[in-house]
Amino acid sequence: MNLRSLLILLFVMTSSFLGVSSLFAQTEPLPPALSMDEDLLQQKTKEISRTLRCAVCQSESIWESNATLAIQMRDIIRERLIAGENADEIRAYFVSRYGDYIVFKPRFRGINMLLWGGPFILLLIGGIFLSRALRRWTTQKVEDAPEPLAPIDEKQRERIEAELRSFK
Amino acid sequence: MKGFRTWHGLLLMGLFGLFFLFYQGLWGDPTALPTVIIAEPAPEIIAPSLYGEKQMVLSEHRGKVVVLNFWASWCQECKLEHKFLLAIQKRFEDNPNFVMYGVNYQDKDNLAKAYLDQHGNNFEHIVDLKGKISIDYGVYGVPETFVIDQEGVIRHKIIGPVLGDTFSDLVQNKIEPLLNQSAPLS
Amino acid sequence: MMIEIGHFAVVTALVLSFVGIVTPLIGLKTRDATWVVVGRRAMISMFVLITIGMAAMFYGYLTEDYSVKYIYATSNSKLPIFYKIAGLWGGHEGSLLLWAWILALYSMLATLIHWKSQPVVMPYLILIESIVLCGFLLLILFLSNPFERIFPVPADGKDLNPLLQDPAMVVHPPLLYLGYVGLSVPFSFAMAALFSGRLGEEWVKATQRWTVFAWLCLSCGILMGGYWAYYELGWGGYWGWDPVENAAFMPWLVATAFLHSTMVQEKRKMFKVWNLFLIILAFSLSLIGTFLVRSGILSSVHSFAADPGRGVFILGFVIFMLMLSFGTLMIRSAKLKSTVRMESMVSRESAFLFNNLFFLVALATVFVGTLYPLLMEVMELQKVSVGAPYYNAVFMPVALGLVFLMGVGPYIPWRKSKPENMKKLLTVPLLVALTSTILFFILGVRKPYALAGLAVVFFVLTAIVIDFNKVSTFFAKREKVNKAQGFVSAFKGNPRRITGIIIHLGVLVMVVGIIFSSMYQAEKILIMKPGEEVNIKSFRFRMANLYGVKGVNWGGQEALFDVYQDGKIITQMRPQKRFYTVSQTPTTETAIYQLRMGHLFVTIPEVAPDGTWARVRILHNPLVLWVWYGGGIMAIGAFMNIFRRDRRRSVPVADSKGVIPEVSPNVAQPTR
Repeated sequence: MNLRSLLILLFVMTSSFLGVSSLFAQTEPLPPALSMDEDLLQQKTKEISRTLRCAVCQSESIWESNATLAIQMRDIIRERLIAGENADEIRAYFVSRYGDYIVFKPRFRGINMLLWGGPFILLLIGGIFLSRALRRWTTQKVEDAPEPLAPIDEKQRERIEAELRSFK
Repeated sequence: MKGFRTWHGLLLMGLFGLFFLFYQGLWGDPTALPTVIIAEPAPEIIAPSLYGEKQMVLSEHRGKVVVLNFWASWCQECKLEHKFLLAIQKRFEDNPNFVMYGVNYQDKDNLAKAYLDQHGNNFEHIVDLKGKISIDYGVYGVPETFVIDQEGVIRHKIIGPVLGDTFSDLVQNKIEPLLNQSAPLS
Repeated sequence: MMIEIGHFAVVTALVLSFVGIVTPLIGLKTRDATWVVVGRRAMISMFVLITIGMAAMFYGYLTEDYSVKYIYATSNSKLPIFYKIAGLWGGHEGSLLLWAWILALYSMLATLIHWKSQPVVMPYLILIESIVLCGFLLLILFLSNPFERIFPVPADGKDLNPLLQDPAMVVHPPLLYLGYVGLSVPFSFAMAALFSGRLGEEWVKATQRWTVFAWLCLSCGILMGGYWAYYELGWGGYWGWDPVENAAFMPWLVATAFLHSTMVQEKRKMFKVWNLFLIILAFSLSLIGTFLVRSGILSSVHSFAADPGRGVFILGFVIFMLMLSFGTLMIRSAKLKSTVRMESMVSRESAFLFNNLFFLVALATVFVGTLYPLLMEVMELQKVSVGAPYYNAVFMPVALGLVFLMGVGPYIPWRKSKPENMKKLLTVPLLVALTSTILFFILGVRKPYALAGLAVVFFVLTAIVIDFNKVSTFFAKREKVNKAQGFVSAFKGNPRRITGIIIHLGVLVMVVGIIFSSMYQAEKILIMKPGEEVNIKSFRFRMANLYGVKGVNWGGQEALFDVYQDGKIITQMRPQKRFYTVSQTPTTETAIYQLRMGHLFVTIPEVAPDGTWARVRILHNPLVLWVWYGGGIMAIGAFMNIFRRDRRRSVPVADSKGVIPEVSPNVAQPTR
């Protein structure tokens, strides 16, 4: 890689930093102080209400919904936050009243583990299966000769790289 | 079978499973909502009366069968059930162990009062300020009716209007048996 | 009268679809091409007839014929003419008619375009497309007829749902259907390959552009839907992981996997069965999506009115199509000798395999998440909801893995790569990724997900820049021109590769947009009275006024906000709360101010009846526009891919001067 491309890269990077750095004028919220300030309260209400389903809507969370029930539920979350409850306690309260249906995040237990772990297990099994199959295929003797006209092979590639090096 | 491979079996199983799931799913109702609060102690209610005379405190009614009806003036189905509610109150009002409250849900006081003037009223109503009571009771919408026993435990919940069969079932199989077993308590 | 003509035309199309099923079969049996010609005519006539049906409905809309039940339900005399036309796809029945029309259009075009070049495929193509069309026409005519009349004739229509009275909503359904249905062309070719036993590369090459076109439409349709949700639903997000959104997303995921793995089949003649499986899966998922959306089986914001009769029919049709296609695949594939010629674990082939693995896992995540509540209900276990928090936790890592692969896959050589090559390939991008992570950390990005996402984006971006630099340098040297011209030559040398990488660049832009707009969104909901102020990030919003407004078919309130930054007023924003009088529906109209490719976003979801206060939702969505800019770049890339001009193999590989680094000359594809 030559100097010029590095410069280009640097330019791309710095310009994008300039572009986005202004977004971070404010830093992350501070850890909860003795009394919660308004911004943090809003932030926490948002986090919790995003995980709760608006029971009377179709598939919106109570944060997104503008239904009266959702507004009232948001207010209750806020009050409970002020009273000092944490997110899990507040969610547990809603589950005790409306059932598991109210949370958008099925709890980690019992059969729900299948939902949470399933994709990763699948990825793992698929990955193992794939790499084993690949190993089998690569060690397998192929009876007929490989395609005579491959677009590019290692030899040519090396020559190209040599050419490129000479160009620098 | 010649040429049959494991993935064929897996694929077929997956497909049939999916078809079965879809077929079964067709007969379910995705909008049906679960009820969880039955057989739980009724959450405490402290709420102002609609007519502002006094506060209602649920625990003061311990020892009585309490019927709570969540309603609103904008709710069409509430209008249908209203005369049945009046009939329930009429039937049990002489029983000292029975009390019924209407809980006015997501509504405005003046509209609620006008509604009661128009449709008649013979029992007390409380105001559900900021949805506190309805969320405490896991209410999805109106009308919903709860029956709380003398021990303060929620025994029944009826989603939708109380009329026809639901009405007679509520009166004969839900409220009356509870009232009848109330005798030894005193 | 026009409506009856349209109705009759569609009935005739149904009859012709049977002709389209029977004639190719007879033709294949008797080996007589005349029957296939009849099938072709049936195909063309079906398109003309369904077009007449569509025209009749449009005529009904424009002449305000509310004796037609569907027009009554989706239109109104006060509606602007634009939305009168769009009313056709504003409900279940009409959108199905549009679906059938698009299917007929694709079938006809595919038949006409490939008639000369793919004669063997034709009978199967006509057969498969006719079967699908027949299924949809049966559904339209017997279970959801848009031509149905009502009596007594209502004086005026019930109005189109106000949420759909929006330009994005006018184009969103047709685009989405162009995508869904477009997959039927490669699907039919795949089925033809299976039936005829010609399982070579031909079907893949012939349908490559069709697939890209369908993919393009599906992508644009999904993005358009997201943009609509963003400003019309007024909650400040563009993707809600709603079951119906997922139903459109799942075929997209598989189509994308298919587009990648077919390249391996073209170049290296591998993964034959796998590609057949993928395209069958992609089309099956668009049928399953139709079932999920229209049977009312899932709880969703978008679902149409539930009707078990329709559900049973669509399910029957889905079962038939899936068993037919997967069944044929299983029977045929057993006879296919595996011709895998893998030379190394580390090669582009295996990178493609991992790409496919990740796409399928992503699919499984969405699929399981969408159907899990249904499964729980059927098993009578519990009633659960699966929503955004689940997908954020499970889907996002997989998606990140896919983005990472974009920086590796296209740059590993085919067949085999030596470890030192890999080292060379990965060192610089990894270094850049690491540096950027540190820099972003210093700049204040502290969320692990955001950092990881940005690191991956920079990794891929570096890989792309290095590659572009390499090829343009090479061509510049070979043709003795400057680098920019060298790049143009590289593009001409292998447009397919370069357009693919342009799409990847679009994905990067989108990923950055998603990271910032979701993780660095600032949002407040509060009640405000005129004269009150609120701060959000460095902005100060002052509600200056709250007053009544009126439109043609709606009335409502508007709030006027003065927005200040650093003490200076930067703009005024006017969100509205509307009430559409005919349909008696309220909507919230968003006010958006664009600022450094991000948005300030204000809605007033609730206004006090006496007009003294409003509930206000204020958001700052940084870089949110990048989501759609990225989509735009992807669309441009896909467009260039479809209309590229492949060179015939102009540079023989043996010629020492003709070797193109990393840009393997495309095996010439016969131009149609």
